[in-house]
Amino acid sequence: MKAAAFDYHRATSVDDAIQQLGAADDAKVLAGGQSLVPLLAMRLARPTVLVDLNRLADLAYVRRENGELAIGALTRHRTVETAELVRRDVPLLADALAHVGHVTIRNRGTIGGSIAHGDPAAELPAVAVALDATFRLRGPGGERSVAAGDFFFGYLMTALEPDELLTEIRWPVLPQGTGCAVEELTRRNGDFALVAVFAALTMGADGVCTQARISVAGAAAAPLRADNAEQALIGSRVSAADAGAAADRLAAATDPPNDIHAPADYRREMAAVLGRRAIQRAWAQANRTNAGE
Amino acid sequence: MAEQSAAGLIGARVRRQEDPRLLTGRAQFVDDVRLPGMLNAAVLRSPVPHARIVRIDVSRALAHPGVYAVVTGDEVRAAVATPQPVIWRMIPDQRMTDGYPLAVGKARYVGQGIAAVAATDRATAEDALELIDVEYDELPAVTTLEEALAEDAPKLYDEWPDNVSCRATIPKGDVEAAFAEADVVVRETFRFARQMGTPLETRGVVATWDPFTDRLDVWLSTQSPNLARDLFGEVLDVSVDKIRVRVPDVGGGFGNKFDFYGEEVVAAILSKRTGRPVKLIEDRLESFVANAHSREQKVEVELAATSDGRITGLRGTVYAVLGGQLATVGIGPCWLTAALMSGPYDIANVEASVVGVVTNRSPYGSYRGWGQPKSNFAHERMVDLLARRLDMDPLDVRRKNLIPADAFPYASPVFFYDGGRYDECLGLATDAVRDRGWLRRRDEARGSGRTVGIGYSFHVEITALGPSRIMNMAGLQHSAFDEEVVRIDSSGRVTVYTGQTALGQGIQTALAQVAAEQLGVPLDDVTVVVGDTDTCPYTGYGTGASRAASLGGGAVLTASKRLKEKVLRIAGGMLEAAPEDLVVADGRISVVGVPDRSVSMAEIGDAAYRRINGRLPEDEVPTLEEREVFDPPNVAFSYGCTAVLADVDRETGEVRLLDYLIAHDCGTVINPLIVDGQLHGGAAQAIGGALYEELVYGPDGQIQTTTFMDYLMPTASEIPAFELLHMETPAEHIPGGFKGMGEGGTIGGAAAIAGAVDDALADLGVATVALPITPPRLLAAMRNGQVQA
Ligand SMILES: Cc1cc2nc3c(=O)[nH]c(=O)nc-3n(C[C@H](O)[C@H](O)[C@H](O)COP(=O)(O)OP(=O)(O)OC[C@H]3O[C@@H](n4cnc5c(N)ncnc54)[C@H](O)[C@@H]3O)c2cc1C
Repeated sequence: MKAAAFDYHRATSVDDAIQQLGAADDAKVLAGGQSLVPLLAMRLARPTVLVDLNRLADLAYVRRENGELAIGALTRHRTVETAELVRRDVPLLADALAHVGHVTIRNRGTIGGSIAHGDPAAELPAVAVALDATFRLRGPGGERSVAAGDFFFGYLMTALEPDELLTEIRWPVLPQGTGCAVEELTRRNGDFALVAVFAALTMGADGVCTQARISVAGAAAAPLRADNAEQALIGSRVSAADAGAAADRLAAATDPPNDIHAPADYRREMAAVLGRRAIQRAWAQANRTNAGE
Repeated sequence: MAEQSAAGLIGARVRRQEDPRLLTGRAQFVDDVRLPGMLNAAVLRSPVPHARIVRIDVSRALAHPGVYAVVTGDEVRAAVATPQPVIWRMIPDQRMTDGYPLAVGKARYVGQGIAAVAATDRATAEDALELIDVEYDELPAVTTLEEALAEDAPKLYDEWPDNVSCRATIPKGDVEAAFAEADVVVRETFRFARQMGTPLETRGVVATWDPFTDRLDVWLSTQSPNLARDLFGEVLDVSVDKIRVRVPDVGGGFGNKFDFYGEEVVAAILSKRTGRPVKLIEDRLESFVANAHSREQKVEVELAATSDGRITGLRGTVYAVLGGQLATVGIGPCWLTAALMSGPYDIANVEASVVGVVTNRSPYGSYRGWGQPKSNFAHERMVDLLARRLDMDPLDVRRKNLIPADAFPYASPVFFYDGGRYDECLGLATDAVRDRGWLRRRDEARGSGRTVGIGYSFHVEITALGPSRIMNMAGLQHSAFDEEVVRIDSSGRVTVYTGQTALGQGIQTALAQVAAEQLGVPLDDVTVVVGDTDTCPYTGYGTGASRAASLGGGAVLTASKRLKEKVLRIAGGMLEAAPEDLVVADGRISVVGVPDRSVSMAEIGDAAYRRINGRLPEDEVPTLEEREVFDPPNVAFSYGCTAVLADVDRETGEVRLLDYLIAHDCGTVINPLIVDGQLHGGAAQAIGGALYEELVYGPDGQIQTTTFMDYLMPTASEIPAFELLHMETPAEHIPGGFKGMGEGGTIGGAAAIAGAVDDALADLGVATVALPITPPRLLAAMRNGQVQA
């Protein structure tokens, strides 16, 4: 199908984009287009105006600021995935990005687009929730920050207002001694996850878990923070039994969808399997990191 | 391309002539055809599975700027002479559905064409579709086989007693007795999901039907231009001399593009209405409802056997889950599932039935394998299950029952199998499995969370479809011969004109190799012209049923041989030597033993076309051209054995293919590179069919898979490396000995994959009886024993 007719505006600045968004009845932002363009082509999205961000070079950056990593909304997935700073400071983000579609899609898709789109099976929203990222939004009334945990409501629903722009995502730097793992189940390489678990576990000097950050994609209408599993692990030595018990808690908290690719029961059961694998792998890595490898 | 010496070109692994244009983006597909004044069309499709069409109001669409014409089903019906043709009518008393290019009176599946718009561009046409008001009186839908067969089921066709279009039984021997006397009887029911061929290039047509001259000029992405031309003639009541069908490069056919679709007729009618060329390209979304669906069947099978594993009887029933109307090939593919149910096995008593049932789903048409992937799955799974029952090695059961080499020609229930060395082929595969250490890899994985299994399947593949008279007797409303023309021009270069079409399979290279070897010219001196009914000869049927290389190759070989005789007679005159004393090599004709006394093919061409006097013998007519029509005395059966090494994750149900090999015999191989490519592509589709692809309908009759995010084709990441092992047993009844092999890779794959999965889970007693095997289904099977749909 061909998209229904719309007007096109190439934004010249962030302010210009915000003004355009406010001026039209049903305007939409165009970033990498990897989610929006198919929706347009199928006439599932029918905006009156497209506001194209792609010339806003000042929205594409990765930099370290005040102990956090700040990433501009228009930064391409692939740029983030391969950035040295990201590998070093927020390795879970780099690991997760490797699971987003295929390289060609990551060359085009943007980190802001993924967050703004808010697909519950997508990697970035789940990682943002696990790591307590904050989103900087700008609208006609000025700027505000929203914590990832308060941003995603339900299927493709977020705290973003129609005339707001997501400009930046800020990621806390992971502490020393943290091991990360992504376990993702897809029907084919590059597909959206049936279920994916993201884990970052920090090992203290005494060999117990001091911090746990775990989330699940594909397990509910919005990305799920597995705080019950995290609580179960903190203070433990993350034995196989600990990992299994935490993963069972994680799975119990899911409310997965039922669709043609997998029934809800299967997804819930897989959340437990992947949760256990992710916890064990992250912990093994934390162990190696602590051993100075 | 490097010059290839002509001797030994048949069998040479030469690069394909098609590839430079395909790989550099120089190919031209139907959507690249742009004609002056051309309009673009789009089809309004039914949003409901079953409804009476009460009223269609197109006035708002017609008034939309840029719209040139709108047609509805009733208008199309008034403009055609016949319903959409169904060319396979093997069951004489079958109830036909007599459908039209757009729905008339009733819509019987989601996606059925209701109306069509021609406008300045596709987006405008789609805008106009939204302005067509249709009032539907919705009827209860039958969306599954069970619903359609239920007592008091809603009927798709009011005038029928039920939803059954046909029933037929194919008998051989005395099945009753075989089952009465059997030591063991094994029964199973298999389910196959709906799947379809998904060529990268969707279907498309550009039609110009001039209202003044009444000439219909069509560009069509098709596998069967001659058939399409004849069917256009029948449906539109135009004599075929006024119809030209041209086929540009085709971006994959897979059988779907063998069929003749309503959109083609609609485009022609819109063109006549508007007096302009009309392009109608199926987009990806609508391809999932408008392109022929396939594969969906339920198959019940019983085997009777002796306690030592000798199969004495086979009984089976194929339930064809047809759609809301019959497609071009009717019950054909499902009938073939029944006809070939005994596969490669020597079974004295066979009774296979087919029951065709209509449902509110898209029509069932051709897809690579054409019924055979299901017969293969049925007989191979049954052999595995029989072995399990008797506690025998499944390979021993196969060895015991394969048709022996000295039993050919072998009378199966319908077809004569021409010849083969089945046992040797099985041995080739099992030896390779042993040599590559698969057994060790399986043993090493035992007891871990991921276990590894080995599966086998042995397949037969019907190819070289013909002869025409027998196919007519079987119910085909078309012929099945092949005509080829080979010409040497005034510069001594060779052109082959063929009615076969180039679908990316390499047919131009294959025919060029045959002509070049026969004529003794370099491969690069041969051009193969395809895709134009005005200039190319007639092929019966079309480029399907694995017939192009076999029948086309056979005809080109014979024509080239005769043409070479003429070349030698002319050369004999010029060199003052007897033709039998001449040899041809690399485009030069020379006297045996006296290489200096020679003429080039260019000089022969000149003598035959231009400077004739004193060079062309008095008793020869000018020009160098031969035409050969080959109607084969019989079909030819290729065969092969597939072996798969797969690993199963016992926690997630994921299946990973670790290794994959096919031992194969398709008679004389023209080009091993092309044969390998066909097997690779076919196996990739088998993998899709076994593990990924499924057209899903909801209980409401709505299709839920209309994008590639939902309909999962395997990608390079899901496909293992393939190893191919070739045997050559030439077909005695085909010049050159070529058998076809376009479908073998697809036919044999799923059963081998299922066998490997079952083997990996042998301790759990899993029996895979439904496709595709998805992770959730497999995990459930580990708990209850059977992979169910
Ligand atoms: C074949 C394929 C496979 C894919 N697989 C995956 C996968 O496995 N995992 C995954 O996570 N994603 C996947 N994607 C989606 C991909 O990651 C998208 O790029 C991403 O979801 C959206 O980013 P984008 O920059 O392309 O956004 P766009 O498509 O341009 O926009 C998406 C939405 O976000 C809005 N938007 C974009 N930027 C902003 C902004 N700065 N402020 C406010 N609103 C904004 C748009 O208006 C639109 O509504 C896949 C895509 C394809 C085509």
